[in-house]
Amino acid sequence: MKNQSSEVVLMKGNEAIAHAAIRCGCDGYFGYPITPQSEILETLAVEKPWETTGMVVLQAESEVASINMIYGGGGSGKRVMTSSSSPGVALMQEGIAYMAGAEIPGLIVNVQRGGPGLGTIQPSQGDYFQATRGGGNGDYYVLVLAPASVQEMADFVDLAFELSFKHRIPAMILSDGVIGQVMEKVVLPPFKARRTDEEIQRECPWATTGRKGGRPINVITSLELKPEAMEKHNLHLQEKYRIIRETEVRYEELYTEDADYLIVAFGSAARIAQKAIGILRAAGIRVGLLRPITLWPFPTKRIQELSAQVKGILTFEINAGQMVEDVRLAVEGRTPVAHYGKMGGIVPTPDELIQALKENFKLENA
Amino acid sequence: MENIISPENIVYQKPTLLNDNDMHYCPGCSHGVVHKLIAEVIEEMGVTDKAVGVSPVGCAVFAYKYIDIDWQEAAHGRAPALATAIKRLWPENLVFTYQGDGDLACIGTAETIHALNRGENIAIIFINNAIYGMTGGQMAPTTLMGMKTATCPYGRQADLHGYPLKITEIAAQLEGTCYVTRQSVHSVAAIRKAKRAIRQAFENSINRRGSSLVEIVSTCSSGWKKTPVEANEWMEEHMFDFYHVGDLKVV
Repeated sequence: MKNQSSEVVLMKGNEAIAHAAIRCGCDGYFGYPITPQSEILETLAVEKPWETTGMVVLQAESEVASINMIYGGGGSGKRVMTSSSSPGVALMQEGIAYMAGAEIPGLIVNVQRGGPGLGTIQPSQGDYFQATRGGGNGDYYVLVLAPASVQEMADFVDLAFELSFKHRIPAMILSDGVIGQVMEKVVLPPFKARRTDEEIQRECPWATTGRKGGRPINVITSLELKPEAMEKHNLHLQEKYRIIRETEVRYEELYTEDADYLIVAFGSAARIAQKAIGILRAAGIRVGLLRPITLWPFPTKRIQELSAQVKGILTFEINAGQMVEDVRLAVEGRTPVAHYGKMGGIVPTPDELIQALKENFKLENA
Repeated sequence: MENIISPENIVYQKPTLLNDNDMHYCPGCSHGVVHKLIAEVIEEMGVTDKAVGVSPVGCAVFAYKYIDIDWQEAAHGRAPALATAIKRLWPENLVFTYQGDGDLACIGTAETIHALNRGENIAIIFINNAIYGMTGGQMAPTTLMGMKTATCPYGRQADLHGYPLKITEIAAQLEGTCYVTRQSVHSVAAIRKAKRAIRQAFENSINRRGSSLVEIVSTCSSGWKKTPVEANEWMEEHMFDFYHVGDLKVV
């Protein structure tokens, strides 16, 4: 990929992640192959960024090793990332909890497939709980971005790194097999230089860079045996999460101004919902879309506001109903909330969604 | 008497990188000696500003409290993965892990073997005392046949527990390793040799010659339920018989 400008190119979501990583000053990628996201590592291997930007690319021995490489690399102040798909991300949860506890930035990309267990290689959004609840042990969150296009796959890499370093929190791009594999037009982000070692030492004074200039030691750890100190650390983390909830919520709205019904959907499901809403509106049914872009922090306030306006909310997810719990918590019973979704790697059609909306809210064909 | 205490008369002193925090290690434990050697070697090499250690889960979990360099505390067994990334991202630095037998040869076997086999330019200091010390004396992958622990109170037996793992011998077979050695710190002579081995491994990391593994056959007087003196004797009598001390690979 040689284009330097705002040239439009056609590529898969997974490929866009790889190109965006090289372009946004990523220092290292560590990953293990798994369908449907292996094109990320494959693209990096072809692009050889170690010869151009100096970015390290390593195929690790497992997802367990990958995430711990991210923990090590992020702890040393570098912009590092890994990617995997659902069962592999399940393996990473221990390492993500360590990163959250030690406040280490880093990016995890999850191109979801169906589960549970080995599941299927077909697309799914079944890892919403795992991503937004903190899949590992203890009280923590990771910042979760949900791209709905190949363009957002490209754009969210740099955004995720920026937010991750700003708040010293692991960030996750929660994609799925649809967005990972689909080919779309994309404008790749402009090249941004990797930070110099001096810049890293200045911007990450906590990082294990070696005691340059004889500075005091830096220790990256999530361990503390004194309960009072551990409580204090946890309270600090919770305060950080409160600030993130207040400042980093991102979402997109479509046709909500006059909506009688609201669909809440993220990622590829939001793309399907957009098509369905077009058809419904043409038939005179006023439906709007709220698409959470950050799944954590969740757009709770905005859904609360919209719940006062609409007659019913349908969450549309490619799972058994996970985000619907967050929608219900936001709505607090003010308006009916239903869920429609499919599992097993089946991606629902716009028609199925339209049918589900009509059945749930007893709508006649207009 | 006043005249004796002057710099030119100093023949031995605590390395300045070894701080004054009270160590949590038991009397007679090998960890304290190895910590001192690491501090000495880093100081003598003049690489304090390049040294990054990765501590394990196990007795050495708090290694970062005692040696004044940058540290990262890994999850159980994952130290070589952390060290891999740190070294690749900061290639000028001295990067080493400090791991026990449970951490390195059991839960972290995959990370250990693959980091060594890739020839990561890191040094691994491996404390083998044939027991889980921190958790209270359970069977380790390196527990000797017939040796009694909390989880094999009748002694390790092959049909129930399998055999002790000589992971250092495996490491010597890997293309990526440039230096694999087994040492001990039970006598002055042994300590001197162990220090030379640690220095060699650290120089290999700095000079990017490949992976180094320094096993230190160690005592765990508490886990072994012996006095420090008895533990040293038991180690010489039983541990050395199975874990032969000396260089296994020097490239």
